[in-house]
Amino acid sequence: MQDIEVSKTKIYSVSELNFNIRKNLETNYFDVWVEGEVSNYYFHNRRNMYFDLKDEHSKIKIVMFYENNKNLLFEIEDGLHVIVNGYVSVYEKRGEYQLVAVDAKPVGKGALILAFEQLKAKLEKKGYFDKTYKKSIPAIPQKIGVITSIGGAVLKDIVSVLRKRFNNFHLVVRNVNVQGPTSSSEVCEALDDLCEYGVNVIIIARGGGSLEDLWAFNTEQLADRIFKCPVPVISAVGHETDFTISDFVADSRAATPSVAAEIVIINKAETLKNLKKITKKLKDLSSNKIFQYRKELNYLINRRIFTKPETILLSFWQNLDEVHLKLGSIIQKVVEERRRKLAECTQLINKRDILKKLSICKITTENDFLRIFSNFKNSLNLKENKIRLILKGLQDRNPISILGRGFAIVYKADKDETIKSIDKAKIGQNIRIMLKDGVLLSKILNKYYRRMDIEYGNEN
Amino acid sequence: MEMKIENMSFEEAVSKLEEIVKELENENISLESSMEKFELGVKLSSSCLKKLKEAEKKIEELTKSKDGKLITKELHLEEK
Repeated sequence: MQDIEVSKTKIYSVSELNFNIRKNLETNYFDVWVEGEVSNYYFHNRRNMYFDLKDEHSKIKIVMFYENNKNLLFEIEDGLHVIVNGYVSVYEKRGEYQLVAVDAKPVGKGALILAFEQLKAKLEKKGYFDKTYKKSIPAIPQKIGVITSIGGAVLKDIVSVLRKRFNNFHLVVRNVNVQGPTSSSEVCEALDDLCEYGVNVIIIARGGGSLEDLWAFNTEQLADRIFKCPVPVISAVGHETDFTISDFVADSRAATPSVAAEIVIINKAETLKNLKKITKKLKDLSSNKIFQYRKELNYLINRRIFTKPETILLSFWQNLDEVHLKLGSIIQKVVEERRRKLAECTQLINKRDILKKLSICKITTENDFLRIFSNFKNSLNLKENKIRLILKGLQDRNPISILGRGFAIVYKADKDETIKSIDKAKIGQNIRIMLKDGVLLSKILNKYYRRMDIEYGNEN
Repeated sequence: MEMKIENMSFEEAVSKLEEIVKELENENISLESSMEKFELGVKLSSSCLKKLKEAEKKIEELTKSKDGKLITKELHLEEK
């Protein structure tokens, strides 16, 4: 029975059936829009995108090939709520049906805004906006590079502000399209060219516009180039309220092109004024310093030690006198003390004392000792008498005793040699004359040969 | 530490000058070093003045020739 039914019916091969289903689906669902949440997103070799689109109860496979996803501004990611446009087809190899997407749009916000937010978050994560990477703008750049459209008002605005601030500026302008599909690449190339040419700072400038108009400044390509640019970059795109990715990556963001011109170079007049002020301060301070030191020096110079140094000496003299006096009295005391002790000692060794002691000894000692002692005493007496006699003789012959009677001895001044004759004396020679109580130092003024008797005779 | 004045950027020179003024304001500085600082300050000041005056006034347009060479030509903008 089954056989009969089968024979009546058309039997498909698998490929045939899948092919027929594919044709059927592609015809009936050739242009559908479907909304859902992205899951299982997979970007194969960064060419073809595969993901599921799901709602609370169901899901469908989506494929988006390179030729369709290459123009997608934002990034597909899991959890993203999107509307996908495309056709339903079958992947015959596996007999799976899927929606082939030709376009996708985020739900809730514009694709551009989402793309902007996504790129901003990505670059922020990479550290492209970190302050540590921001280069400082030189105060007086010798060459200022500007990337803008030469035809627009932007360049005129910049130049007019620069003229007011710093008349002798050097501007190198690179003309680019600031809008359109090639714009972003043109700006990138201009950055490279200006760096190669050699400028000290680069302004990327454009007037205001819609998010689409400013899109050239929101690309990852340009963000990369600005981040890696060795020259500091000022981004001046749009009006105050417009923000672009280039604003975040650049070393400095200017709200408008005119503001960029204010940032790029200092105000010459103001700077000159400040410079003069600080230079004057420098000079004032230095002369103040010198004045102050001069005052201190004058004070020092007028001190007594420099004006009347002798007064300082006087006080020293006084001190010296006092010390002298003290020293004298101390020495005197010491001498007196010594003298007293000496007298005591002398008394102790007085001969009579000794004899007294000896006489005591005499009583207590043996006869032998007594005899020896009396012998010794006798011989001592004998010797004493002898010495006395000798001394008496000496005294009689002592020339000094003759001096006591009015005689004098004449010596040469420099040696102990007596001058006994007038022949031995020379006029002008220094001599010593010894009298009974001292010596006279004299000089021979003249000499006369005289006979003693005549002299006496004259005198008489 | 000491950098040649010619190699200093304008802002480096200005901040060095300000630093010197601050040091001179200090009461305890010696005469010798204050004279030294003064001399350096005067040099910095004149170098800054020179830098303010030396930049040349020019507006050029940078273009690229077909063989990739960079060329500049003077750009005339009407004054506003």
